[in-house]
Amino acid sequence: MIDRRQPPPTPELPRYRLPPVVETKLANGLEALLVEDRRCPLVSARLGFPAGSKHDPAGLYGLAESTAALLTEGTTRRTAREMAEEAAAIGGSVRAGAGADTLVVAGDALAENLGRLLDLMADAARNAVFPEEEVQLRKQNRRQELLAQRARAEYLADEKLTEVVLAPHPYAHQSPTLESIDRLERGLLAGFGRGHLTPAGAVLILTGALPPPAQVLETIEEAFGGWEPRQPPAPPAARFPEPSRSITLIDRPGSVQADIRLGRLAVNRASPDYFPLLVGATILGGGASSRLFANIREQRGYAYDAHSAVHPLKDTGSLEVVTQVRNEVVDAALEAVLAEMSLIGRDGVSEEELSTARNFLSGVFVIRLETQEALANQLSVVKLMGLPLEYVEQYTARVWAAAPEEIRAAAARYMNPAQAAIVVVGDGAKILKPLEKFGPVTVERAG
Amino acid sequence: MPIPASEFLSVEKYELGNGLRVVFSRDHSRPVAAIYVIYGVGARSEQRGRTGFAHLFEHMMFQGSANAPKGTHFKLVESNGGSLNGSTHPDYTDYFEVLPSNKLAVGLWLEADRMRGLSINEANLANQKEAVKQERRLAFDNRPYAIAILERWPELAFRNWANSHSLIGSFADLEAATVDDVTQFFKTYYAPNNAVLAIAGDFQAAEARRLIEAYFSDIEPQAQPRRPDLSEPVQAEPREETHRDPLAQVPAVVVGYPGPARRTPGYYRLAMLDIVLTAGESSRFYQRLVKGRKSVIQYEANLGWPFAGPSDYRDPGQYAMFLLHHPQVSAGEVVRQVEEEIGAVRDQGVAEEELARARTWLRAARMRQLESSRARAMLLGQYELLDGQPELVNTEIGAFLDVEPGEIQAAAGQYLATQRRSVLEIAPGGGEG
Repeated sequence: MIDRRQPPPTPELPRYRLPPVVETKLANGLEALLVEDRRCPLVSARLGFPAGSKHDPAGLYGLAESTAALLTEGTTRRTAREMAEEAAAIGGSVRAGAGADTLVVAGDALAENLGRLLDLMADAARNAVFPEEEVQLRKQNRRQELLAQRARAEYLADEKLTEVVLAPHPYAHQSPTLESIDRLERGLLAGFGRGHLTPAGAVLILTGALPPPAQVLETIEEAFGGWEPRQPPAPPAARFPEPSRSITLIDRPGSVQADIRLGRLAVNRASPDYFPLLVGATILGGGASSRLFANIREQRGYAYDAHSAVHPLKDTGSLEVVTQVRNEVVDAALEAVLAEMSLIGRDGVSEEELSTARNFLSGVFVIRLETQEALANQLSVVKLMGLPLEYVEQYTARVWAAAPEEIRAAAARYMNPAQAAIVVVGDGAKILKPLEKFGPVTVERAG
Repeated sequence: MPIPASEFLSVEKYELGNGLRVVFSRDHSRPVAAIYVIYGVGARSEQRGRTGFAHLFEHMMFQGSANAPKGTHFKLVESNGGSLNGSTHPDYTDYFEVLPSNKLAVGLWLEADRMRGLSINEANLANQKEAVKQERRLAFDNRPYAIAILERWPELAFRNWANSHSLIGSFADLEAATVDDVTQFFKTYYAPNNAVLAIAGDFQAAEARRLIEAYFSDIEPQAQPRRPDLSEPVQAEPREETHRDPLAQVPAVVVGYPGPARRTPGYYRLAMLDIVLTAGESSRFYQRLVKGRKSVIQYEANLGWPFAGPSDYRDPGQYAMFLLHHPQVSAGEVVRQVEEEIGAVRDQGVAEEELARARTWLRAARMRQLESSRARAMLLGQYELLDGQPELVNTEIGAFLDVEPGEIQAAAGQYLATQRRSVLEIAPGGGEG
């Protein structure tokens, strides 16, 4: 007989098992990883380079992302239009983008077209010509896109927090400015591409309904084998300043709410502090059963969204708290957030919270790897961040291994309110005074 | 075009004595299972003076039930390694839990407990009114383009209040909602016979049937709610309006046309026409408006935009598009260029090769979509609720792929004609508009 008053007992969570991975390396240094997934006749490919925006020279922010965007806009073999039509004809797409650490050419297609897909991706990575007309169109459109992005309070808040937490490292500038877009030229884009897009240090991930490995390797060799390697440029030195409290208000007149961010420099995935911090940040604000959600949203009704997250980069990382509250409660909400941030470091976490966070992180990790594109993305992150492949299978075990005292210590350090940078985007006339209760406020204009 | 058997999903369907329809799709290749519960009630069921009620109610569904007090729903799902959410649409409201597959029973228990008896009280209602007001400030009042798209656009495109009123609602209407209203709404619309339960992923059908029988089968059915009159007058004149958006920096324009009834021949033809016109970088809009004329910066378009896509489109609805464009090009000129592209299909048709690309694109996009168990459960639930035929998840693609070039050409003339057009210009900056 089933007792309907109690939730049903269920077994322990299953462990995540990575399907078999075939790993190989071409003579020119390109590493290739193949994972078979025959559920549907599709393939996903990621060609990743350690060539993200941290390589943008000062004042040329957005160089990596615009170089990436132009890779599919014309090559020595195809016009932009031919490339777009061919990608659609093989049931997929080829696009490229850049983050802080990496530049990735991503492609997908019906499985029968794997050879044509790799040929398109190799063409983009090896033969892009950066046509002047396409460069001008990109600049014109990126400018307007940036204006549209900067009209959003959350964009302004994210952009400023990244800058405050990570400066003077180039990580501080992960998005372009109107001035830096104006400075981009064809020669700069082509130069960035020539310097950074080399098979040495690059990785190719293939997932999906693949032919036998020997045959796939032949196809890979055909598309990428003749590509001469070069030494990729060294990344900027991983030096970061001691975190300290600052308060920045971005005045956006007419805002009906205040967009609040708190952030502090933290660690990358390879650090022993990473998993304790990840579990701690999950208890603080990683989901609907977290402390911030329960306190700021469910108890006080201050906000729709109140959460925290860890943002790992290759050379460091950051902890971030996000909430958007009505103008009248900006000081009360900020006080409540700061109090929650200090509590875990002082008192630690309960058994129940710990168990919830561990299960949540492990379960969601398995769920997120359900699609072939998600697995391809995960593998490309792991390789480009310099982590061992075992990271994927060990993720769950390391979440479970984070001990209560390690979590408390990580929280005491990385959630320390006295070292948190505060960024608020909102109507200065309404919220400057309440913010000044927390210390001196630097005011900037939006736009 | 024949569809290979490898692209087929398993589909099983049955009904409980109380009218709850259950749909299963099993696939054991990943240890994940998704539960999707969809109720036949949405913003278009609302009464005047009660805008935003369906959405406020969706919030109440997370505030506790008979055996799962406030906070339990979130905690149980997350402590079992799952994720969850709910959303409100014009014609339905839906809830999902995605769980590691051996935790399926927890999600079923939670969904049954709240379908059987929700905890509706003053404190929860007052608290969720505040959360919804904050959601409105976040997603509408403080965000460029949002008021224009989500409130002004339906008012322009539709004449029937049931179709044109705000989905998130006004602060005044939210304040006016009482515990009695919420209780009555629950009784009327959240009955098992007005819902579908879909499960997709890695689970055993016999075990799931046993749990569903134990948890759901004795929840009382209610009188079947009537779908309100949603009929729209025939549009014989183009409509045009300008909305000034003080938060926007870049001008935009929304263009739309009344769409055909769901799953009629016209629906498939217009959906294929949309792919030819707007899907991906090889499409006509991208190649001619973004690239050739360099007038449009970004755009999105869909049958049902902005609230639905082809899979959950329900008439009356619009085929509509949002185009962000360069400040030096006027909205009127952008609309003229859009109509020129529509006119080119109407007058010259589409090439076989272009249509072949659109078909391949659709087939691959459909497969990609169905890779996640949550997406499979959603689609099955929607097909059952809207059409009573979950097996369409396998067969309907054929109706899209069978559309002929001449039919696409005819659809451009029939559905996207100027006299049926509505245009909402979104102009950056304050002032009267």
